[in-house]
Parts: sequence; structure tokens; C-alpha cells
Amino acid sequence: MTKPSDFQSPCGKWAATGGLCGFAGALNERGTRMNVLRVEGVKKSFRGDLTLARREVLHGVSFAAREGEVLGFLGPNGAGKTTTIKIILGLIRPDSGLVSVLDRPAGDASAMARVGYLPEMPSFYPHLSLAEFLEFCGRLSGVPGGKLPGRIEQVIERVGLSGSGELRLKVFSKGMLQRAGLAQAIIHDPDLLILDEPFSGLDPIGRKAVRDILVDLKAKGKTIFFSSHILPDMEALCDRACIIREGVIVKTVGLDDLVRLGEGKVEVTARGWKPGMLRGIEDLVESWGARGDEVRLVVKSQGKLRGVIEHLYAAGAEVLEAVNEQASLEDVFMEEIARPGAAPKRGAKREEAVLSGF
Amino acid sequence: MYKILSIALNTFRESVREKIIVVALLFGGILMASAVFLSPLALGAREKIVTDVGLAAISIIGVLASILLGGALVHKEVEKKAIYLVLTRPVSRPFFLVGKLFGIMGAIALVFCAMAAVLVGTIAAGKGALHPVVFASMYLSLLETGVMCSIVLLFSTFTTPILTSFFALCFFAAGSMSNDLRAFAEKFGGAASKLVTGLFYYLLPNLNVFNLRHEAVHDLPFRAGDVALATGYAAVYSAVALLFACFIFSRREFR
Repeated sequence: MTKPSDFQSPCGKWAATGGLCGFAGALNERGTRMNVLRVEGVKKSFRGDLTLARREVLHGVSFAAREGEVLGFLGPNGAGKTTTIKIILGLIRPDSGLVSVLDRPAGDASAMARVGYLPEMPSFYPHLSLAEFLEFCGRLSGVPGGKLPGRIEQVIERVGLSGSGELRLKVFSKGMLQRAGLAQAIIHDPDLLILDEPFSGLDPIGRKAVRDILVDLKAKGKTIFFSSHILPDMEALCDRACIIREGVIVKTVGLDDLVRLGEGKVEVTARGWKPGMLRGIEDLVESWGARGDEVRLVVKSQGKLRGVIEHLYAAGAEVLEAVNEQASLEDVFMEEIARPGAAPKRGAKREEAVLSGF
Repeated sequence: MYKILSIALNTFRESVREKIIVVALLFGGILMASAVFLSPLALGAREKIVTDVGLAAISIIGVLASILLGGALVHKEVEKKAIYLVLTRPVSRPFFLVGKLFGIMGAIALVFCAMAAVLVGTIAAGKGALHPVVFASMYLSLLETGVMCSIVLLFSTFTTPILTSFFALCFFAAGSMSNDLRAFAEKFGGAASKLVTGLFYYLLPNLNVFNLRHEAVHDLPFRAGDVALATGYAAVYSAVALLFACFIFSRREFR
């Protein structure tokens, strides 16, 4: 997708090698995916409203998103997510560090033509109809005038707003506005999508609709970088997730890592539950719960699985399923937040992570 | 250019759909109507009264519309985060400002044309003569509004709508009196006051160059060269204000 360039950065040529400046990306020519988005050692401080003293909010943020990857950006309120996103988009300048978007510096026009962005809690232009709004966004992104009407129709349908093209945005509900926001982000068919809290304020139906659109975009090979508090959605969509805390990336966790982080435990589901059935295997089982004639138990390790299954069959139960238990993103997130020194800073708003569904 | 026009069109749409435009038109209409109703009091001077009040109304409404519409021009976009949707596309910040300026000037020009049409219609209905100087005066008022728009845009890039309106009104008041202030300082002031007034004279817009109302009311001769000079002055002053606005806006961070 992106060709290597000779774009000069302060630490030498980016040249899409990914190895420069400490990044672990790779060349397309090597058959591996290159980094579409690279953030290295970014620091940012802001001056207080009433004081001249500067407060550092990002203390050297580094991460990278590979081509075709869905990278989540997770952290408590005030951790620096939106500031990082704004730096990536060129809306804020970093004090130091490097940002590369599609192999170009942050805010570069040629890169921005291939980036779609959805801000958090967008408000847009209430005086415009949806079609007028998308036409405006499409023109600014350089979509040829001849292709625009067809593209607008296509995008409106894609986000599930068919029939609303002529409605003014001021009459849109929160969910409809979020979809309109997504529509403007994809009107020019970007290669990289940067979404700030795309599920914010949506009801379950709206969340599913947005999730489906993102799944579809992922299937088309788009790179998606998004921040969210909705952990189940993030877990369902992401290939990897960066956890930011107090302006520092404290962990980058892959979906595969979640199985490893499950510590080898196995969850077994069996039918034919009878009270007292687990007598004799208490030491092998970490926890269990029964509903109706089904019992679900967590075996402490894979080595103990055989013993448990044989015991269940001997007791007249039928084993329906045995799966490796994996840690949830919530587990990883809460562990990182609970780590010493991880308490939210004074003045930072409390995190209201949506933990339902785990 | 294509992108500037898109931003200008969006700003124009936004402005003409604002209630303030209707209020401005209504207010202008009332002012002109008052001239028509009051003119019988000035025996034999109906045409002069209508022209005088009409031109004054056009000028005042133009300036007020530029301040009220333009005051929140950038601030509103930032507050609603709509500006992010523009600046995160391949659109430079100066382009954004130029588009905004064109859009707001287009909307005000529309109000201006509507009021000018009413004035011309009123004069014509009273069988008055439409002298070229009346049109020249209206044209200069339009230029004055353009200068005010660029000043408003400059302030709107770094301060709140209320302060923008306040500063712009101060500029308008000082700019309308700059000739008088300088003449006063030349006649009665010391060296220091002459220096200060001289500085302000060149820094503030000299809005007197856009005032041809006296000539229009009394059908006095005017020089086309002065109109051309005023046009050049408006272009240069607006361009400089726009340059400063672009410089400030390019350095601005959107927290």
C-alpha cells in the first residue's frame, strides 16, 4: 500500500524500514506488514489556564500500527489518548518525539488525504443535510466531483442511514450522528481510520451497527486505530491494544497474548450435573458453577484436564466442551491500572469503563 | 481553490441560515421605512433624507452583520469540534481561513445587495434621481464591510466571540474617527501624542476613505481615483489582516 519514501526525519530516513528510530516494523518487500502509523517518544506538555507552569501529559509515548491491523487505544480518562490522537492528526504539535502517518510526518496533506478521522462526541454542521455534509467532506478530501454522488449514496447505505440523506444533521439522534461521523470518515475510502471513542454514547443497537461497519472495514484491509472505553467491543475488534496510563504506554497486548495470559486454565462444560458430583476432584478445579443440569468448571491446568474429564464421565455426566481459558482485556487493563503508581492522577476524571459482558 | 470554495460555500450556507441575517434585514428595513415616513417632515428634502438614512442603514447593518456573524466564526467551529473534520483533511489552515472569509463576505454581500435594492427601489419610487455617487457610496460601504470582516476574522482566530466583537467595534469606532484624531493631535498635541496618533492612524483602518455618504446625499462630485484608491486600500488592509490571522491560526493548537 504505502511505498517506502526518502522522507527525512530528525533521526534519519524513515525509509519504511521500521527498524529505524526503534520501531519494529518491516518492509513490504520482505513479505511482512509495514507500519502505517508510528509514534515514537512523543512528549507533550500544556500550560495551565492560570499559570505559566507547564504540565507534561505525555511522557514519551511510543507505539506503531501495522498495515491492515486494528489497534485499540485503551486508558483511563486523562491518560492522554485524545492528546496522542490529536498529535497524530497534526492538530497539536508534540514537544519532542516523532510521528509518522502513512510514511509522512503528522499533518502532511498527502497523508491526510488517506486518513479518516472521527472525533469524540462530534457535533458537525447542524445546518447541513447529511448529503450536503458528506459532499463537503468528500470535496475537502479530494474525491472527484463526478464520483461523489455515487459515493455519498453508497456510504449512507453502508452506515445504515438510507433515507436520511436529505435530513438536516440538527434533527439527528446521537446514534445517527455517530453513524454520520463514521460516514464522513470513510467517504474518501481512506487507508487508515483514526476513531476517538466511536462507541461513545451509543445504545446496544448502535454499538453493534458501528462494530459491524468496523469489522467490514477490517475485512477490506483497512488499518484502524481507535480509542474506546467499551472493553468488550475493543476485545472483539482489535488485533492488539495499547494501554496508556498517565501519559505512558504501559502495555501492548495482542489477542493471542490473552490465551497465554490465561495461565493454561481450561474451562469445561458438562451436562448431567448432580450435587456432589465434583467430590474427589476439588483439588483439580479452581472454580465451578451449575445451572439446570449443566455445570461449568475451570480446571487449574491442562495437565489436570484428563483426570477431571474421566471423573465426570464416571459420574454419569457428558462433557460438551473444553476450551483454553483466556484472560480478558478487562483483566489485563485492570491489572495495569491497579499496579503501584497507577492510581489516576489528581484532577484526572474517573474511568467509567464498560465492563459488562465479561 | 476548489477546497476554498467548498469551505466558503459551507460558511455561506451556515450564515444565511442564521437568524441573525433575518434580524439584520428586518432592522435595515425598519430603518429605511422610518426614512420614508419621516421624510415629509423635511419639506422638499425627501430624497436626501431617504438617501442619507438608507446609506447609513446599509453601512451600519453591514458592519454589525460582519461583527455578529464573524465573531463566532472560528470559535464555534472549535467548540463544536467541527473544525477537526476540516483540518484533518488535506486542507491547510490558511485555506480554511480564506474560505471562511469568502463565505462570510458572500453572506454579508447578499444582505447588502438586498438592502441596496430596497434603497434604490425606494428612491426610484419617489421619482428621485439615482446619481452615480449613490452607487459609488454603496460600493465603498461594501468595501468597508469587507475590511471589517477581515478584522473580525483576525480576532476570532485567538479570542472569544464576545471579545472579538468588542475589539472589532473598537476598531470600527477608532477607524471612523482616525482622521479627526490625527488632525486634533496635529493641531493641539505635543510630539509624543503626534507619534502615538500617527502610529494608530497607520495601524487602524482609516474607514473615512469608505465614506461617500455626504457626497451622495448632496449629489456632489466625486473622484473615481479616490474610489480606486479606496479599493486598493481595502484589498491591502484585508490582505494584511488575513496574513496575521493565518500566522496566528497556523500556530494555534486545538486542545
